[in-house]
Amino acid sequence: MIVDPKPLVARPETPPARAVDTFFYDNRIVRNFGIATVFWGVAGMLIGTLIAFQLARPELNMGTQYTTFGRIRPLHTNAVIFAFVGNGIFTGVYYSLQRLCKTRMFSDKLSKLHFWGWQLVILSALISLPLGITTSKEYAELEWPIDILITVVWVVFGWNMFGTIAKRRERHLYVGIWFYIATLLTVAVLHIVNSLSIPVSFTKSYPIYAGVQDALVQWWYGHNAVAFFLTTPYLGLMYYFLPKAAERPVYSYRLSIIHFWSLIFIYIWAGPHHLLYTALPDWAQSLGVVFSIMLIAPSWGGMINGLLTLRGAWDKVRTEPVLKFMVVAVTAYGMATFEGPMLSLKNVNAIAHFTDWIVAHVHVGALGWNGFLTFAVLYWLWPRLYRTPLYSKRLANTHFWLGTLGILFYAIPMYWAGFTQGLMWKQFNAEGMLQYPNFLETVLQIVPMYYLRGIGGVLYLSGVFLMIFNLVKTAKAGTLLADEKAQAPALMPAELVEEHQGGHWHRWIERRPVQLSIGATIAILIGGAVEMIPTFLVKSNVPTIASVKPYTSLELEGRDIYIREGCNNCHSQMVRPFRSETERYGEYSKAGEFIYDRPFLWGSKRTGPDLHRVGAKYPHSWHYNHMMDPTSMSPGSIMPAYPWLFEQNIDYSSTPAKIDVLRKLGTPYPAGYGQQAVADARQQAALISRDLAKEDIEVKSDKEIVALIAYLQRLGTDIKVKEDPNAVEVVGVLPAE
Amino acid sequence: MLKLRTFFLIATGLLIGYAAAAQTPGAAPAAEKPMTTEEILFWILLGLLGLVLLVALLMGIMITVQMRPQLRKVYEMPTVRPTMSGKVLGLLVGDPVLVKGEVKDELLDHDYDGIHEFDNDLPPWWKYSFYVTIFFGFIYLGYYHLAQAAPLSEGEYAAEMQQAALMVSADNDDPNKLTDYKPLTAATDLTDGKGIFAQNCAACHGQNAEGKVGPNLTDEYWLHGGEVNHVYKTVKFGVQGKGMVAWKGKLSGKQILQVTSYVLSLQGSKPANAKEPQGEKETAGKPVASR
Repeated sequence: MIVDPKPLVARPETPPARAVDTFFYDNRIVRNFGIATVFWGVAGMLIGTLIAFQLARPELNMGTQYTTFGRIRPLHTNAVIFAFVGNGIFTGVYYSLQRLCKTRMFSDKLSKLHFWGWQLVILSALISLPLGITTSKEYAELEWPIDILITVVWVVFGWNMFGTIAKRRERHLYVGIWFYIATLLTVAVLHIVNSLSIPVSFTKSYPIYAGVQDALVQWWYGHNAVAFFLTTPYLGLMYYFLPKAAERPVYSYRLSIIHFWSLIFIYIWAGPHHLLYTALPDWAQSLGVVFSIMLIAPSWGGMINGLLTLRGAWDKVRTEPVLKFMVVAVTAYGMATFEGPMLSLKNVNAIAHFTDWIVAHVHVGALGWNGFLTFAVLYWLWPRLYRTPLYSKRLANTHFWLGTLGILFYAIPMYWAGFTQGLMWKQFNAEGMLQYPNFLETVLQIVPMYYLRGIGGVLYLSGVFLMIFNLVKTAKAGTLLADEKAQAPALMPAELVEEHQGGHWHRWIERRPVQLSIGATIAILIGGAVEMIPTFLVKSNVPTIASVKPYTSLELEGRDIYIREGCNNCHSQMVRPFRSETERYGEYSKAGEFIYDRPFLWGSKRTGPDLHRVGAKYPHSWHYNHMMDPTSMSPGSIMPAYPWLFEQNIDYSSTPAKIDVLRKLGTPYPAGYGQQAVADARQQAALISRDLAKEDIEVKSDKEIVALIAYLQRLGTDIKVKEDPNAVEVVGVLPAE
Repeated sequence: MLKLRTFFLIATGLLIGYAAAAQTPGAAPAAEKPMTTEEILFWILLGLLGLVLLVALLMGIMITVQMRPQLRKVYEMPTVRPTMSGKVLGLLVGDPVLVKGEVKDELLDHDYDGIHEFDNDLPPWWKYSFYVTIFFGFIYLGYYHLAQAAPLSEGEYAAEMQQAALMVSADNDDPNKLTDYKPLTAATDLTDGKGIFAQNCAACHGQNAEGKVGPNLTDEYWLHGGEVNHVYKTVKFGVQGKGMVAWKGKLSGKQILQVTSYVLSLQGSKPANAKEPQGEKETAGKPVASR
């Protein structure tokens, strides 16, 4: 049947003699998730704005440990990803799934349990992260009890979703649901595999992976959290809400098939592109590169299917804010998914990695794709849930422009800052010396950009406040249609319906959610397995270094303080094999140096310098003064002060348990060392405090700063050749100049 | 047809020329040398080739534009159109369908809550880009890992360091050897030294070298020797484990000598809040610094 693209003719339908069921869609749960989305969105963005300005003005860290950048930056990322986007996913899924399956959600009880369970997860993150309870693994910072809670809630969601699919009145699953299913399964796999750890106490655990392996698993997770939490569910939402809002048919069914399967299969391989030029084996890095490049077309498949669906509706885009938001969202998605593969090329990555370029990149995705699509969905839903027109289209349009401006104000300065700093780090002068040997110089250069970025955030957030006002007014003008009446014929067994027999080959799997789920699971398991299994099993991938020894018990406590304070949010521990880095920091990092690192602390952003070779570089007193007031040692530094480390005592209560857990995981501490560990730690601490006393610094040896100094002084020193400094041979050499 | 052959020949010539050009820098040392006649001739020839290619390209474009109606007729013949060369022809005459795909807008009998679906072709530009990226993937892996035709991380680093070693002056880089510099005394050198000190050293040694985290540098007591070449060495290579940073690579040899000379010029300046002496007293018999 051929139709003109413009008017959509109602097709004559010959309904088979089927009983028509009457049922009710659950709108209340959709509304609740919607409110949660907005609420957490504001929270996450407020924290984001705060930490943005903290980088420009360190005094905004407010001098307390609970509000310092290192602890609340993870709060921002978690709030935005899991609270804002997470609730956004559930809002859209709960609305569209019911309608695509022509049935109410499987169980109202499960829906409620899912809703409150998820809010509880967020609340526990909100409490635990500022307290410094963290695993340090990006976007997986929450400790093991919360991880278990997440798993339970996710199972509830899955149960509810598959239950709904099972009692559907629509034989075939729409493309949106394929994406929902892939999301559900993959997020479960990612979350469980990456969170595997052994608890030390209720608030502390050590991962079962160490060093390079931990890094690989973490970035397999981190990258695919972007893929399967920020991308696939939102593509599912796009496939429902965009054709709905545009009132146009989806451009190409076969494009959705190809891009769905290729996207989920290829995405999972690309994780190692977060670890280019690190100690990860080269073959794994290269796989990350090529699969990232291959990912361009599958990602763009989603974008073009969205944009081309708007053919014949572009006149509406001019007036309808919902469509405007969608167009920018889909375009931002296209830009980010083209930029991502480009950043995965090693020569581009060499400049961009560890800089604000990456921050700009993710925010184009988060603010543009996730944020704007969420706003579109909310603006579209609210009038339908409350049975009344949107309070003000004009305000929504203003929101659109504020938001767009906010994205530009955010992204452009961050790109600028990223290019600037990336190039400054690498610049050598004519004499073969680093042009900017002082790291701080490269930071101070971009501080103005940090202000502008903060302003971008404020613009974006003020748009959100306009939306809240608009949605509240809309809700007040109408009444919630909590249970929406709908009718659909009951499903007949597939064998009895002729149209269900033939058709496109892919129709077969669309009728079979179980087979579809199995297919999707296989597709997403292959890449991870191929990359991880050899890294774990083949010894040559992590060559051991004989001189690398486990941390002493005091260093271990210091390391856990480093983790607690979130130092890894600003400092990497990964010197890449570039001349510009070995000149600046020292010998590049080797895989074998990290075998006792649980978790790995390579970091992903250098707001401050790399710390892998900081050990033995400065005297204890330098670190002491620096942690007390960073500007005393580095005038102009934007690092916050850590005065509480000088007041709080080292908590030795779980040291024996920590040693026992690490021993279980394979760290070669002697048997029964747990009992002796505390005494050893105290002894080492006493030595450090004595050294400090020599420099007129009085500090009790049981203060946390002592443990932190012990750890910092150990960092990266195991492979350093201990040469005798007294062996000097006087030889006449002509002066160089 | 003749045109095409010329085209091909020129392209081949250019490729060979390029390959030859790519080999020359390897043979010649990095230092600047006047070009030999052969080289000049080579570049002139290469330039000429490029010019010829450009002209040929422009003519090719002109001919295609001029002959478009005829080409179009050929392209539209049903025996030509589906073939591979027909597709190339189609691209030449600019058939958008070959890039965008045929948009039939055939509606499928799908109806999901009022959402319908067309079954349009995959846009060829999209499809072929996908193929290209897959092709790129195989080539990349083959190039780096099977053929091992280019270095990976460590190899790249080794090459980079080798390159740098050629660039950096033959400044003595052996920490076990001592230099035999004399302290600089020119006012400009000491002023430069003062600036370097303020920027890099003052954080640990104090604004007036009175000692803070690091030792007092104005007294006669030295931990690692107070003679100019000993101080130079300490500044350059640092002191492992004691907290003195190695400034090699951050400061040039000249800068290190400037700051060393400046520090030695502060001997006996007795700044306020001076840190207590550390190390061994160096007697006046040893040359400390000429003031």
